Amino acid sequence: MTQPTKTEPDGRHGRRITIDPITRLEGHGKIEIFLDERGDVERAYFQVPELRGFEKFAQGRLAEDMPQITSRICGVCPTAHHMASTKALDDLYKVEAPPTAKKIRELVYSTFMAEDHALHFYFLGGPDFVVGPTAPAAERNVLGVIAKVGVEVGTKVISMRRRLRELITLAGGKVIHPVLGLPGGVAKRIKPEDQARFQEVAGDAVEFAKFTLQIFEDVVLKNSDYVNLILSDAFTHRTYYMGLVDEANRVNFYDGSVRVVSPEGKEFVKFAPRQYLDVVAEHVEPWSYVKFCYLKPVGWKGFVDGPESGVYAVAPLARLNVADGMATPLAQQAYEKLFQTLGGKPVHHTLANHWARVVELLYAAERMKELADDPGLTDPNVRTLPTEKPREGFGIVEAPRGTLIHHYQTDERGVIEKANLIVATQNNAARIAMSVEKAAKGLISGKQVSDGLLNMVEMAFRAYDPCHACASHSLPGSMPLLVQIHDPDGSVCATIRRDSDGNVRRE
Amino acid sequence: MSNRARADAARHPTPDVGSAPVRVLCLGNDLLADDAFGCLAAEHLRRRVAGSVDVVFSTDGGFSLMDHLEGVSLLVVIDVVMTGKADPGTVSVFREEDLRSAPGGSPHYVGLFESLALGRKLCLQVPRDVVFVVVEAADCLTIGGAMHPAVRSALPVVTERVEEQLADWGVAAAA
Repeated sequence: MTQPTKTEPDGRHGRRITIDPITRLEGHGKIEIFLDERGDVERAYFQVPELRGFEKFAQGRLAEDMPQITSRICGVCPTAHHMASTKALDDLYKVEAPPTAKKIRELVYSTFMAEDHALHFYFLGGPDFVVGPTAPAAERNVLGVIAKVGVEVGTKVISMRRRLRELITLAGGKVIHPVLGLPGGVAKRIKPEDQARFQEVAGDAVEFAKFTLQIFEDVVLKNSDYVNLILSDAFTHRTYYMGLVDEANRVNFYDGSVRVVSPEGKEFVKFAPRQYLDVVAEHVEPWSYVKFCYLKPVGWKGFVDGPESGVYAVAPLARLNVADGMATPLAQQAYEKLFQTLGGKPVHHTLANHWARVVELLYAAERMKELADDPGLTDPNVRTLPTEKPREGFGIVEAPRGTLIHHYQTDERGVIEKANLIVATQNNAARIAMSVEKAAKGLISGKQVSDGLLNMVEMAFRAYDPCHACASHSLPGSMPLLVQIHDPDGSVCATIRRDSDGNVRRE
Repeated sequence: MSNRARADAARHPTPDVGSAPVRVLCLGNDLLADDAFGCLAAEHLRRRVAGSVDVVFSTDGGFSLMDHLEGVSLLVVIDVVMTGKADPGTVSVFREEDLRSAPGGSPHYVGLFESLALGRKLCLQVPRDVVFVVVEAADCLTIGGAMHPAVRSALPVVTERVEEQLADWGVAAAA
């Protein structure tokens, strides 16, 4: 969430793109499509409302307040910000948390990932894959999922989610306002009686994840139409991938090195959080406030895929692509099956993110169980007091939607001079734009816009689960979609809008 | 809900609502300019309304809103909106049915309405009646931004609308 640039007229093309006022009542996603002289698609972009002013807001504040502040910024994944920020503070104060504190952090984090992934699979991604991509729009929603899987399963999901959230609250205060992380450890130990509760819920979470994988296999994998859709060229980009791995190059959500693999699946670079600026750079388009991350050593070559282009992706599929395997046995089996079925590593099919998410759900649950069963979990030593002077700290975790980077620079008292966040959706921004462009190219020709543009475009970005941070508690709660099609002179020649009631209008 | 609210709800049953509480849910984010209005409203309303009404402030979004729906019979939601069609500070009141007929707008989103629909489908106790009191905002995206004076000034009107609604439901609102 770096400070977005202002939208200015683009001198080169004389185009001025006005960012539509973001309507909270209709917190919409906006698609901009630019046509060339022939009326074909030259470029298409996707943008969601983005918060601004973070760097300025952070300046002059105490670094130790950042785990609370950053978790309050985003109502969707507060735990991810809290954890990345806490790790940045460890680094800032040059202090290592005791082993038990790290276990507690990872346990809480795994619980959060399990909850978020389960919610996404059933209620957010589910409409596409459980109900079906070609089902009528009126059925492709959370109620359609319940109709398909049954009320009993729905109740099970709600109950599992509630119990997972109770665990997070038990260990770290409110889910939405976690107070767990401190530089050098955690605020609260886990008592033996609480450990039993973690063990019980973790055991149930593993069963729940296995059951979810079974649903995925029964509903999605046994339907060749879905599998063909996953494999179709329309949803395929051969880019680089990025994600955290442990010392054995297995997926890790909480800690490790960041590994990047090439479109051929070879390790391109593996780096410590401190080195992120050597690898990640941001490209700015003159028309937009969105910053597009790319790999610095490869360079920005535009919105194209292949090994010559620095575009990369994060999120569940990227994490599986960069890793050599999963650290838990059942997830490892599921991981192997995914790559066998989809033709080996790396998998470039965006829609496979939904499958990868279920594999990760299983990993999160299994990892929860391992940590909950750990005899050292209840050790009272959960804090190493910082003694060094602060200067600069980096913290990276894998948020549900991908790699999340926190970076702070402070004075000797720990007062922030500079802060930078790179959130998952920024890492994915260029590839999301490419996916939207590909979908648009297939449906617009000679200025003629085919029906179905909206659905295809939406499918293209939905698999990335782009963060709608500020639209997240919008009324009426759905995400209307606005597509604007521009002539080469920049003027808007067509607008397609799907309102919150689901009606589609063309203007 | 808090134990206190639960105890209060039990002490002050009204014929209309049974034992489940009436809640005023103030949504927003105190770090985001006009979005801080929900926080302001919650502080104010806590002093105004009786113990039988549970006033909650939340920065939750998406499906997390479910946590505030379960076990509630009647719900007032206070939030800011940016429609671009009214001046900042304009107060509007909507009922659930005014805003949309059925979930289906986007397959990709689960928010308050979807949570309500899901709760009903799964026979959870979620509010049977929801009223929205919303304030037009000027800016909800600047972290650490100041609240627009007109948005801040909407507090008395919002309070009045909330109290009218509670009276309509037959809930004793005055503290």
